[in-house]
Amino acid sequence: MDSRFRGNDGNGGNGGGPLRGVRVVEMGQLIAIPFAMKLLADMGAQVIRLESTGRLESYRSDSVYRNEIHGEFWNRGANFYEQNRNKLGITLDLGRSEGLELLRRLIAVSDVFAENFTPRVIKNFGLEYSELRRIKPDIIMVSSTGYGFSGPWANFGATGPATEGASGLAYTTGYRGGPPVMAEIPYVDYTAGEHTVFAVMAALMSRLRTGQGQFIDVSQTQAAAATIPEALLDFAANGREPVRIGNADPVMAPHGCYPCAGQDRWIVIAVADDSEWQGLCRVMGRQDWAADRHFSGSLGRWRLREELDAMLAEATAPWDAHRLMAALQAAGVPAGAVLDSKDLLFDPHLRQRGFYEVVRHHPSTGMPPLPYAGRPWKLSETPAVPPEPAPLMGEHNDFVLRELLGLTADEVARLEGEGVIGYAPADPRPVQRPSLDEQVRQGRMLRYETDFPEQVSRAYPPPPES
Amino acid sequence: MTPPALDGVSVLDLTHCVAGPYCTRLLAGFGADVLKIEPPGGERGRRMAPFFRDEPGPDSSLPFAYLNTGKRGMTLNLKTAEGRGILRSLLPEADVLVENFAPRVMPSLGLDYAALREIAPHLVMVSISNFGQTGPYRDYKAADIVEYALGGLMYIFGAYDREPLKHAWNQAQFKAGTDAASATLMALYHQRMTGGRTVGQGQRVDVSIQEAVASGLRDVVNNYTYTGAVRRRQPNHSGDMQRLRATADGYLLPNPGLGSGLNWDSFVEFLGLPELDDDRFRTPSARLVNAEELGRILDEYFIGQNKYDMFYGSHRRRFIFGVIQSPEETLNDPQFAHRDYFVEAEHPVMGRLKFPGVPFSMEATPWQAGNPAPAIGQHNGQVLGRRLGYTAAQQAQLRSQGVI
Repeated sequence: MDSRFRGNDGNGGNGGGPLRGVRVVEMGQLIAIPFAMKLLADMGAQVIRLESTGRLESYRSDSVYRNEIHGEFWNRGANFYEQNRNKLGITLDLGRSEGLELLRRLIAVSDVFAENFTPRVIKNFGLEYSELRRIKPDIIMVSSTGYGFSGPWANFGATGPATEGASGLAYTTGYRGGPPVMAEIPYVDYTAGEHTVFAVMAALMSRLRTGQGQFIDVSQTQAAAATIPEALLDFAANGREPVRIGNADPVMAPHGCYPCAGQDRWIVIAVADDSEWQGLCRVMGRQDWAADRHFSGSLGRWRLREELDAMLAEATAPWDAHRLMAALQAAGVPAGAVLDSKDLLFDPHLRQRGFYEVVRHHPSTGMPPLPYAGRPWKLSETPAVPPEPAPLMGEHNDFVLRELLGLTADEVARLEGEGVIGYAPADPRPVQRPSLDEQVRQGRMLRYETDFPEQVSRAYPPPPES
Repeated sequence: MTPPALDGVSVLDLTHCVAGPYCTRLLAGFGADVLKIEPPGGERGRRMAPFFRDEPGPDSSLPFAYLNTGKRGMTLNLKTAEGRGILRSLLPEADVLVENFAPRVMPSLGLDYAALREIAPHLVMVSISNFGQTGPYRDYKAADIVEYALGGLMYIFGAYDREPLKHAWNQAQFKAGTDAASATLMALYHQRMTGGRTVGQGQRVDVSIQEAVASGLRDVVNNYTYTGAVRRRQPNHSGDMQRLRATADGYLLPNPGLGSGLNWDSFVEFLGLPELDDDRFRTPSARLVNAEELGRILDEYFIGQNKYDMFYGSHRRRFIFGVIQSPEETLNDPQFAHRDYFVEAEHPVMGRLKFPGVPFSMEATPWQAGNPAPAIGQHNGQVLGRRLGYTAAQQAQLRSQGVI
């Protein structure tokens, strides 16, 4: 049976995950909340993802399998699958009073309500905590916003880069002498999502003891700022403005990213002490460096770090990045090949640990089973549930409305007829991506491989049918 | 009055540096009783820069002070049989043990999970390590930059035509620490659901810093699995609307959020730049063709603007500009101030100092700023004497033998 349906049956047994019995209603978008709720779903919570057919989530309309945007393309979006594994999916038109009422009834039989819209939207729908606790006194509500649910910036919309900027993280990051640099993914959405999982777990622990729910207000900017105490406290205590230093380290040298053989291939090396330095010199075959007294001692190396970086960049250039990593690690030197997307998927270590999990997609998508990133934790006695794909649009309308809310088949049919629920976007507009050749020409992609389906399925064969 | 969220949760904290201490810091911040156990000379994190007034000392590392607030501290030399014996005697009353040694260390001390479980089957043992407890890289050495490289975030970070870059400081370790705190509570939730301390089911939690990075990459691996394409660092087209722009006083992200109900005309009207009211720029494809010209116009415009004026102005019109703030600006930002984010706390060495506060607020069970990070062995007497019943003479002997 689809592991998502087992979420709330309340009978122990193995395979249910530690969060079996916890029901979450998610009104999320993009990453900050969907990513967090995916992690709870992985561990056994029954997460019901609410969608609107009127306002199509952009992750459904972009990056579709093989860039083929015919048919029900909204059920083939990479980022939607990435963020919504193991969830049930329903559609409700919250602009209609009946849709909103159904959501309220669903919240009344749930443990957690999670959302990441602006407070303005949530208040317009009457879904703020003070309202929800009237329909479910012990509900745990979590709101994740760019700058926090209260305060002068509360209703400011935000992107991942914007919160990276507001927190101070972007300001401290960048090449020496250059402008701030931000990640090319909505990095802080993940930082906030990680903290959101912790917050919901803490609230569940509290409720277990006291029977009380509560409101959790996640500011994505605050979450990011909590992870840069070095920069914030250096200013608060010492009045020092951070200087952008690229990949350099305040203490270690050499510490950086150096070129290797091949197109855009790199290795990182971080030397903390003399024995690591000696190991590095040995592997690079440079006993003259090892013997040079200017480079003995961390402080000496740190003072000469720019000279060292230049020397090292020349020495690493002929090496294959993976072979050099193995040689350096064997000599006790912290080093890592800079893995690209294909390297990650085929990385022998991640494969042996089962980090990427193969998910079977719904037959209607025509997509083969594909591997997706798992979680950074393994629990020995209550592991994650077997992975199920993100829901098709409206896939679990029937289950949720009938099994959880007790509607009849006729009532569900009427809701569909009246457009309160649906199974396809009202205005399906796919994002047209340039061809892969064009993306390579523009420099957005390094290359592409046409036999990727075979390569992927060889490395990640589909799991046996359950 | 609701008790703290993690009231009654008892944690033995064997961690050092960043990832482990941030995990237990989050637990302490919501009311867990965290006992930090360090080697007699103090853990390595006490030597992390930057320092208060740039003067290194066991109690003057700024990140250490931040990461260990709200914990009690004792010393134990786990390389001695007595030290290990004392640790074992603390296990029955603990819910959680967190460590972030290299994977070979705990087994070499006879403190692997199988051994701890014998003493305390209800124990949640959390191990945070660079690459996890299994697999071919298990014993590889790492630093934050190595985790960025092997976690896949670095390859797509930085300039198109330069070496890949990482975020400043210790982001990978903070991510893993947060994840470890979440996983700890998942395991603990299960322990409580199965009867709680002494009878509930404990387990082993294996957290990998590499996987903490690799689990938060959005469309990197799935670019390959969905299209066969290998993504790289993006070229920075000067006309890219999402690009960072320099202003008179810093940097701004004038991303208008076009496409989500906002249009070019209102954007142009907001900026007051009639020269952009032109078919050469009205559609995404036209903007791509005329990117260089567009970029030049925008660069020239923004360099004459004040970033906060633009930031507030944009949000009044529901554009979603972002502002790049320095630490000083962050410390003075009215939003953080309204939310009491920075908490002034008294530290025995540093005096009164503003610390970053809670990453999120919980209405019923608020974050607790807690006591300052413990000095080396500060609570030895409290734990050994009051809790375990060692006499003053016995404690003196432990000290002379180098156990504490």
